[in-house]
Amino acid sequence: MNIFWYELKAYRGTTLLWTASLAGIVLLMMAMFPSFAKDADAFREVLQSMPEAVMKAVGLQLDSITSLIGFYSYIFTYVTLCGSIQAMHLGTSILSKEGREKTADFLLAKPVTRGAVFAAKSLAALTLLLLTNAVFFGAAGLIATAVKIASFDFGIFALITLSLLLIQLVFLAIGFAAALLLPRMKTVLPVTLGTVFAFFIISFIGASTGDGKLRYLTPFQYFDRSYIAAHGGYEPEFLIASAVIAAVCLTYGIVRYAKRDVQAT
Amino acid sequence: MNLFRREMKASRKSLLIWIVGIIAMVAGGMGKYAGMAESGDSMNELMADLPKTLQAVFGVADLDISTPIGYYGVLFLYLLLMAAVHASMLGANILSKEERDKTSEFLLAKPISRDRLLTAKLLAGLVHLIVFNAAMWASSVLVVGQYAAEGESVAAPIAELMLGMLLVQFVFLSAGFAVAGAGGRPKRAVAISAGVMLLTFLLSVAVEVSGSIDFLRFLSPFQYADAAEVIESGLGLGFVLTGVAIAALCLFAAFVGYRRRDIQV
Repeated sequence: MNIFWYELKAYRGTTLLWTASLAGIVLLMMAMFPSFAKDADAFREVLQSMPEAVMKAVGLQLDSITSLIGFYSYIFTYVTLCGSIQAMHLGTSILSKEGREKTADFLLAKPVTRGAVFAAKSLAALTLLLLTNAVFFGAAGLIATAVKIASFDFGIFALITLSLLLIQLVFLAIGFAAALLLPRMKTVLPVTLGTVFAFFIISFIGASTGDGKLRYLTPFQYFDRSYIAAHGGYEPEFLIASAVIAAVCLTYGIVRYAKRDVQAT
Repeated sequence: MNLFRREMKASRKSLLIWIVGIIAMVAGGMGKYAGMAESGDSMNELMADLPKTLQAVFGVADLDISTPIGYYGVLFLYLLLMAAVHASMLGANILSKEERDKTSEFLLAKPISRDRLLTAKLLAGLVHLIVFNAAMWASSVLVVGQYAAEGESVAAPIAELMLGMLLVQFVFLSAGFAVAGAGGRPKRAVAISAGVMLLTFLLSVAVEVSGSIDFLRFLSPFQYADAAEVIESGLGLGFVLTGVAIAALCLFAAFVGYRRRDIQV
């Protein structure tokens, strides 16, 4: 329990900062929604004069993107980008900092098993992410209510917002695995940013054509927001895919953490 | 000179990984163009009629995505993001790693002035940027050229885009240098530098979505090399001057600050 509280305290500042930035992004972007919606209205009038086939092809998409949910889905891409960096950084850092700061012998000389250390650390990371999401959920909900023009479906809004937590959990697990795969890591950030941005760019390439296979490659595509908006739920196969990735990384983490050589000085 | 050579060697491996990433991104991204090209034309006419803020959401801006160079322009934003991640981390890391790895005592005991030390590290950083940029340039010309129609010149706009990218890289490298050289928290330098970079990226997205806060464009280097603008009319002189001025200011701060700073040992 001591380790748990210690870690919570150690990451208090960082987590606060991340939570504030996530809410800040939503505030900054959603503030533009009213003027954006007005633009869209004007364009819809232009569309009226177009042939019906074209209107059908684009109009549907336009309707979904110009609603509050559609706009929120769009900016949520950037929220998940930042959230993933937070989660993976947390996961990698919390497991590897003992080795880096040469405090591993101190920690591991305590009368707790390695399994208990791992459990305490991963629980602390989980708690931090849950707190981040709880605050973020509240903030995003408030902001959305403040800028809305017409009423929107709060259930779908909640599902989209909740997908942040799920993506973060996947990246947290990837972070755990990365910390143990690269035990001699000197800094966490290059690995974190490299991984997250690589997935982010793959996600963009996949999204531009809607390639089905490519979607499995990047967690950013697991919770397709237009699907959520249309069906009011997550896609089961991708829910399973993220659970599998998280479980594999976590199992690897637990097994490896219990056995590995620890550099002590 | 020894220091310069050492720095070149120290990040050789990571530079290689980056280059592999660049080639994969350019080839993968343009590979998607082949599928887009057929259906692009009618879509494109419609896109041109969209209000600017909506274009930003679709990610096309003023680009003609039915031509290879226009599609490359859409991709360019993400390539630029890669370059910015690389440059901002490199700039901060190359300086702050001495304090992190507790080697600054060793380094500063050598008979060279701090100015010369900074110059050597800056030169090494610049060479890294140029190699990064050259790899991007070569792979872009080769890959985009594959898709170009007979007689269509893609080399000229790509050259202009790459110069823009070099400018952005230079700004972020200098900013990272300033954070690590003049800032008081060398351990957090890389994080701060990457944070600033991410912030300007989000600002750039906000500027594009809003469409009405154009004066903020000068605050985000990502806007200095806006693909649509560069392909249409070349780099803007105002942006080039602003970029160079910001970089010069950052470097000045780094040199002055580092000369008189306490080094943590």
